[in-house]
Amino acid sequence: MAKTAQLFVTCIIDMLYPETGEAIVRVLQRSGATVDFPRDQTCCGQPGFNAGMRPQARQMAENTIRILENSPGDIVIPSGSCTGMIRHGYQELFADDLDWLERSQAIANRTYEFTQYLVDVIGVENLDAKFPHKISYHASCHLLRDIEIDEQPQRLLEKVKGAELIPLPKREECCGFGGLFSIEHPEISKAMLDCKIDNLIASGASILVSCDAGCVAHISGGLQRKKISLQAVHIADILDKH
Amino acid sequence: MVDTFHKHIQESLVNENLQIALDANAERRIAAREQALRSLSEPWQILRQRAHNVRLQTINNLDDYLDQFTNQAKNNGMIIHRAANASQAVQTVLDIAREKRARLIAKSKTMVSEEIDLNHSLEAAGFQVVETDLGEYIIQLRGESPSHIITPAVHLRKEEVGVTFQDKLGIPFTTDIPTMTAAARERLRRTFIEADIGLSGVNFGVAESGTICLVTNEGNGRMVTTLPPVHIALMGIERLVPTMEDLALMLELLPRSATGQKITVYTNLINAPRQPHEPDGPQERHIILVDNGRQVMRESPLAEALLCIRCGACLNACPVFAEIGGHAYVNDQGESSTYPGPIGSIVSPGLFGQTEFGHFARASSLCGACKDACPVDIDLPKLLLRVRAGGVTLHTKDVERGVPFNVNIGLRFYTWVASKSSRFTLALKLVGFFSRVVAPRSDWLRLPSFTGWGYSKDLPRPARQPFRERWARGLNQISSLNGIQDNNIDPYRIKESKSSSDLRDGEDLIQRFSEELVALDGYFTLCSSKDLPQHLFDELQNQGISSILSWEKNLLPHGLIDSLRSKGITVSEEFNEEVKAGISGAQAAIAETGTLVLPSGKGRAQFVSLIPEIHFAVLRASDIFQNITQVLHLPEVRQASATALISGPSRTADIEMTLTLGVHGPRKVHVFCLEGE
Repeated sequence: MAKTAQLFVTCIIDMLYPETGEAIVRVLQRSGATVDFPRDQTCCGQPGFNAGMRPQARQMAENTIRILENSPGDIVIPSGSCTGMIRHGYQELFADDLDWLERSQAIANRTYEFTQYLVDVIGVENLDAKFPHKISYHASCHLLRDIEIDEQPQRLLEKVKGAELIPLPKREECCGFGGLFSIEHPEISKAMLDCKIDNLIASGASILVSCDAGCVAHISGGLQRKKISLQAVHIADILDKH
Repeated sequence: MVDTFHKHIQESLVNENLQIALDANAERRIAAREQALRSLSEPWQILRQRAHNVRLQTINNLDDYLDQFTNQAKNNGMIIHRAANASQAVQTVLDIAREKRARLIAKSKTMVSEEIDLNHSLEAAGFQVVETDLGEYIIQLRGESPSHIITPAVHLRKEEVGVTFQDKLGIPFTTDIPTMTAAARERLRRTFIEADIGLSGVNFGVAESGTICLVTNEGNGRMVTTLPPVHIALMGIERLVPTMEDLALMLELLPRSATGQKITVYTNLINAPRQPHEPDGPQERHIILVDNGRQVMRESPLAEALLCIRCGACLNACPVFAEIGGHAYVNDQGESSTYPGPIGSIVSPGLFGQTEFGHFARASSLCGACKDACPVDIDLPKLLLRVRAGGVTLHTKDVERGVPFNVNIGLRFYTWVASKSSRFTLALKLVGFFSRVVAPRSDWLRLPSFTGWGYSKDLPRPARQPFRERWARGLNQISSLNGIQDNNIDPYRIKESKSSSDLRDGEDLIQRFSEELVALDGYFTLCSSKDLPQHLFDELQNQGISSILSWEKNLLPHGLIDSLRSKGITVSEEFNEEVKAGISGAQAAIAETGTLVLPSGKGRAQFVSLIPEIHFAVLRASDIFQNITQVLHLPEVRQASATALISGPSRTADIEMTLTLGVHGPRKVHVFCLEGE
């Protein structure tokens, strides 16, 4: 029975990685879902929330909730941190407002992270993807710890034909992005990024895979700056390869 | 102010010694903790939830528990003081010190004393203050503040300690850690014996009995709370648990989380000052209950941070702390806060002020490793976000919260753009367009350093056609692959962890006790009471010992002391710091942790198991219990003025985390277990 997935594509993918957005749509379609895109979506409000600017965060969150309320069905988000924001961050943001709290919980109840949706909801692990390369999986922090998703991306990657899945040393260590953190504390962010890149090199893999485009932009940006020919990609890019 | 903070951060990042030390700390502490969690009596998630609830209930009913604790402790003969703030706490200590005409004060580690800046005030008033915890001793010599709440000298390499010892103690430069530790032991021995006042912290107060509990490894905690005639304990008002059961739970979690130990070498339970029939112990014991911002925090959105049991696991788990270390957490003036790292980033602004320390909470990527490591499951990321949003009051102006100007402007603009889809779409297209103008041939933009982003990395060039536009124009439609369905996964699958510490069915308590003791570098001999005198004498001979300290002889197996005397061993019940061995009994023992239980009492001098280098203990096999909870309820333990739980020889890992045995307490513990008693 075909499911309808309302794609909340996230501002980073919208702006920096639209091809990844397209890959996500194709992968969802291949898995048997019908994909829709609520066109008025903008941003879940996480940047303002992380900055401590809760009035601004609330404005964006209320906006997002209204838009998603008008889009029935499962909401699928290709990001651990944005999913975490809607599931948990909104509870904190609206803690003193019962109405909005209920509305946000109703949305949260049908919100899924992308790999979680494929594996746990649709029930698909094999997307008939082919990618004969050495890849290594980086467990992005909000995905791993906030919404506790870790096995699903790995199961999907294991089924990719030809791909050699190599363990990433210190895979659970933060890459140093943290959104605003990398802007306000670029020195610490760089030190953490250097560690992540060193670990990627040590793994022997050519490509680092993550479920969060923030991590991808941060790590690939660092690889580019250092002129290292390894890559960092979003998981959808690999799952889409045929 | 960001600039001073950033300056200190930058200094830390280029300090090679510090980087090596911090990496080593993180690696070892994380591994040790993970190893230790495997021996929990129940799964980690269950125990930490339970601990969370115990501490939450305590904080929610703090006034009641404080009253109960105070009344019980007073009944026991403790003198209780309340200090609303740092200066009152300092004044109380000064008053006691003056009244007692004290000159020398020996301190074991207490972060509350750092918080109130006690040492400087005491010294300014003419008192001599000596830190006796090895890590604290080292940084006191260097004139530094602690850089970690558990291991104060973690930022130092052994070469640096060697230089300090050479400069300040006059010993030849060495990097041999046992040599350095022995030098500290020798210097501090006089301090313990001559101090007029012993000043300690408190790890937990138990409300139902008025007991205070201290956990240490080196023996200095036992020393300062046993030898000087006056003991002062500084206690944050939030450091309570309701019952002894709750204490047992905390004692299972705290050492494992802090240092990867099942139990610290010395767990001290203190109820009262020396009783009339007891041979040693301080005649006066004071507890100063320090508020210093805790009540205000309790009524604020940051209250959950008061659950903290000061284990330091969050510091060890934090990737930011591993890069910058504790000393980087500074205010405008470059003064470091008592509490750094994840928990420090919440309690520093919470207790001491948002303006002064609110910026700590912004130096986090919110990765959540801290929350995962916390034994009382404090939601640290949530609290960090609350600090960012204003801390103790959530509704202050952005300027007061400490939102940097550029972030403030940028996010207000972004919010305006994102509040309307058409504006957002236009903005994305403009960004895409201008990116192509700036970098027509490259997939990457190289932004200048000051943008933050451009400091370490390039930016993928924003697309000319954002995703939403591609969608609007119709993506390539792919027909779904029919019929490919994998096995359904149960989304309610729960991760289970195995726990393994419970005594296996039918396992010998004696066997388990001896294994645990030996694993702690203790010695174990099983024998009959008939053979005991010969075994003990042989041991003394082997070690070249002809003189020992002892408990009152009729508290030991009948005839033991007489037999030793008849073989030429001098046995004394009087304090003598030159004697190299001591023999005591033991009220009980704990199999799971290899622990001896020695309550104070008539004829049971505490110095016998504390001062000499070698401690012999006679234990009846029938007195071995399985776990600590059973022992905490023993009447002898509840009624004693002080009980020492001793798990192996004294140890420290304060210099480069290298384990050294025999710091202040005995360097060797040998248990003779009498079977069939």
